[in-house]
Amino acid sequence: MRLIRTISLFLAFVAFQATATARLAVIYAETDEPEPQSFNEMIEGIERFAGVEVIRLALDIRANLPIRLAAAGGGIGPIAVLYPDIGEPYRAIFAKIIEGIEDKAKNKVSSFPVGSNFDAQELSNELKRQDIRVVIALGRNGLKAASNLDKGINVVIGGVVSAPGSELRSGPVISLAPDPALLFARLKAFSPKTQRVFVVYDPRQNGWLLRLAKEAAQAQKIDLVAFEAADLKSAVSRYHEIFADVDPRRDALWLPQDSVTVDESTVLPLVLQESWNRNVPLFSSTVSHVKRGALFSLFPNNIELGRNLAASALGVASGSTSGRGDIQPLREVLMAVNTRTASHLGLHLPSRTQDFDLVFPEQ
Amino acid sequence: MAWKNYLPLVLIVIWLPAPVVLAQTTEDEQELALVYGDKTTVSIATGTKQLLRKAPSTATVITAEDIANMGALTVDEALESVPGLHVSRSTAYLSANYHIRGIVSDYNPEVLMLVNGVPMTSNFVGNRNDMSVALPVENISRIEVIRGPGSAMYGADAFAGTINIITKTGGEINGTSFGVRAGSFRSWDTWFQHGSKQGELEVSGYLKIGETNGHRRTVRADAQTTWDALFGTSASLAPGSTNTGHNDIDGQFDIGYDKFRLRAGYTLRDKIGSGTGIASALDPTGQMRSERITGDVGWSDPNLTRNLSLNLQASFMHLANEVTSPLVLYPAGAFGGAFPNGVLGAPNKWERQMRLSAGIVYSGIADHRLRVGIGHDDLNLYKTSEYKNFTLMGGLAPLPMGPATDDNLYLTPHQRRLNYLYAQDEWSFARNWTLTAGLRHDRYSDFGNTTNPRLALVWEARPDLTAKIMYGKAFRAPSFVEQYNGANPVAVGNASIMPEKITTFEGGLIWQVRHNLRTSLTLFHHKITDIIGTNGTTSYSNAGEQVGNGGEFELSWDPLSSLRLIGHYAYQKNIDQATHHDSGYAPRHHVYTRADWRFASGWLVSGQINRVAGRERPYGDNRAPVPDYTSVDLTLRTDQQRKGWDVSGMIRNLFNADIREPSKAGSGILYDLPMPGRSFWLQARYSL
Repeated sequence: MRLIRTISLFLAFVAFQATATARLAVIYAETDEPEPQSFNEMIEGIERFAGVEVIRLALDIRANLPIRLAAAGGGIGPIAVLYPDIGEPYRAIFAKIIEGIEDKAKNKVSSFPVGSNFDAQELSNELKRQDIRVVIALGRNGLKAASNLDKGINVVIGGVVSAPGSELRSGPVISLAPDPALLFARLKAFSPKTQRVFVVYDPRQNGWLLRLAKEAAQAQKIDLVAFEAADLKSAVSRYHEIFADVDPRRDALWLPQDSVTVDESTVLPLVLQESWNRNVPLFSSTVSHVKRGALFSLFPNNIELGRNLAASALGVASGSTSGRGDIQPLREVLMAVNTRTASHLGLHLPSRTQDFDLVFPEQ
Repeated sequence: MAWKNYLPLVLIVIWLPAPVVLAQTTEDEQELALVYGDKTTVSIATGTKQLLRKAPSTATVITAEDIANMGALTVDEALESVPGLHVSRSTAYLSANYHIRGIVSDYNPEVLMLVNGVPMTSNFVGNRNDMSVALPVENISRIEVIRGPGSAMYGADAFAGTINIITKTGGEINGTSFGVRAGSFRSWDTWFQHGSKQGELEVSGYLKIGETNGHRRTVRADAQTTWDALFGTSASLAPGSTNTGHNDIDGQFDIGYDKFRLRAGYTLRDKIGSGTGIASALDPTGQMRSERITGDVGWSDPNLTRNLSLNLQASFMHLANEVTSPLVLYPAGAFGGAFPNGVLGAPNKWERQMRLSAGIVYSGIADHRLRVGIGHDDLNLYKTSEYKNFTLMGGLAPLPMGPATDDNLYLTPHQRRLNYLYAQDEWSFARNWTLTAGLRHDRYSDFGNTTNPRLALVWEARPDLTAKIMYGKAFRAPSFVEQYNGANPVAVGNASIMPEKITTFEGGLIWQVRHNLRTSLTLFHHKITDIIGTNGTTSYSNAGEQVGNGGEFELSWDPLSSLRLIGHYAYQKNIDQATHHDSGYAPRHHVYTRADWRFASGWLVSGQINRVAGRERPYGDNRAPVPDYTSVDLTLRTDQQRKGWDVSGMIRNLFNADIREPSKAGSGILYDLPMPGRSFWLQARYSL
């Protein structure tokens, strides 16, 4: 504490170009101000000098954020991350994403936990105060908070599975749903003979994903047979139809992230039992299904996802990316495999253990 | 009635504050559940990478989290939770003896303990350490315990079971922390731990310093009590206290870069108390010192070529076990005044070991997974010395206190070299069927050759059911004491003794009843031959035989995402074939249950109940059977999983049960070895 106070008004003079704008970074802690706004006035005074660009770095001692000097190509200002104020173990997910964001964005990153009763106005004011132009919104709560912000602020969305149209803002959405192209590629690597993939899905949740999946399947010479189901009952009958007709040598089954059609107590046990009995490869977009017996799953590499979100945010802020409202599937993934299921299916797993990030059964 | 003892526990459980009203599952949690599934998987998926391990499927794994929940401070405390394993005590130093499936001996050389795959075995009496050294747990990632014979992979002494302690890597620790702990028996510890992983470079360090006075309970009668009755003396210090204090320094260093790994370890125990005395006569002044230095360097390439992985390792160990304050075998006044200062002895030994090994795993042949390895071990007890004031040659007689020489020296230096070769194949010969066949051949410079096979057949009968049957043979190498013991005419070493042998048949079923409920049942039958002992003569020989049967039933249930229940019941019956009497010491019945409950965010309470019953005496010991006991422990801790403070506290043996471990027949310690009563500790750890 004392150390921060003694260096609180330390002027760092960084001259990148002799003839062009000189950039001055000012590091200060508001808690050190003799009177409110005195630092702000001082800094504004400096900014009035022609040819001087001031980069403010306010230390938020309570939040214990490290100092980050702005890199070249500035003018972007800090990045804000809105993330759900949630308990463990989920909090660790967002902590890792933020770690990735901080690593990629050389700017200062301010993170704001957003609970179910957050104050939109207070948040907007805080963002203005810190001169934040781009916000990364994580999770449903983050997305909700971001949708109430000033329209001038760019928003990149991540940490959600889907983002229905009404809440969309500018900037790309990176979904947590793994890219079907990657899923199909892994499937072919495990089981080259597979030619047909069955999937049951709710079009309201996953319509966008299935469109991308059909393209990916075509490119990889896979016949994607997709069944729509609007409720659990019809989903279950679809699955029964699939298993009645399935050919283990050529077919595989995909479980998407779908709260309507993939139900932990009815659909999952049925699908696991039938796919084992009929020797059909079953892969899922939900990693715990691998623990329960699915052959493999792809799940988020949260740090890389964070890096990607930061890159998107920087792109959006500097105007080089538009992608207004585009929802992209997740490409920053890790893989979980069930070796017992693989043995059962007669699949030959190489001893290259580093290809698998998570292996079940655990012992 | 015994059950009334449990009433306070029941009341405490009811009184504990109801869990914080679970907040409505938020939209975010529902969304993330689509991605990860359950909460446990979230923790695994956001943690460090899990690698395919060599641990065979019969291993019981104790994770770092299990250790923290149990409130275990040493490996010995953690091992009590393994089905079929009971941690007892040796009569001499009260050091830990692991009784696995009823296989028992004085020094416990029949359990092999490895640290990161490197054996800890000392060749003096063939166990981990003849002095009482318990290993700390803060730097342990997991402990893998395999019950049953393991010589087909691990060689000597993987007889009753094999225990592999795996330490944390830099990536797992991922940070810096300081901890401090204090508790009963004037125990305190403080430690530092650091780990980091940057790209290919992984570094970790651990240092702990501590001491304890050890538990002090009364021993009412000892060996000297018996001598006093015979000689009409009153030299015995019984009734008197056990002496279990020690001062500790533990350190570990681990650095990995790409395929290389270098580790170093240091374990010092100083001012070790004599327990109940080296000759079972209480000795409050005798003190010992054990210092172990280890180092290993390895190169591991999982992808040398497609389908081939290679592992090379070289390890070094130096063990210095010295008596720093002479052990008083029998107190002053013993033997009718012949020893006015008591019978004093200070045997010292120094060992150094070098082990080299290379192994490959080849999966190029369809449906086969082949493992082949070779190794060379050089085990050298290179120096011994002894200071004593007596001789046993020609009967017990006093001598001036001084260095023992020639025939009077307890043991001279000895060296043993061995070369070995092992091969194992996992053959998936049909869908859902795997046959594992393994063989290891050891060539010893002293006692010759031994070959040990292993066969395991596994059937994945259903998605929720696995069945297996196994067969294996193992050997327990004779120790240097058994081969070369000197200066003791009633236990003369025999250089031509052969290893002890065991043959085991096992069958098991694992049933995943529901996704959150798993049970397993294992049954075993083993036969041990060529048991080494003096067998009523004056020197060591292979003569004993023992047959054992039993089984373990285990259960693991997560009724709520915040509550985990585990338990097991183990039964064993071992009969000595010469007397057709129970082999003695080990419990017929062992029940263990534990509940881990995350009752509020970041808080966890854990309670465990351990019941040890049915401990018979061996043939010729006319004492009543060892009293059964039930111990209850409670641990309360925070689980922040990130920066800041973590605190935990524990009450061990909550109901102050009078726990006793059996003393060796004929030792003179009539009322068995008393274990600690109710004790507490409190710990705080700060992570940067």
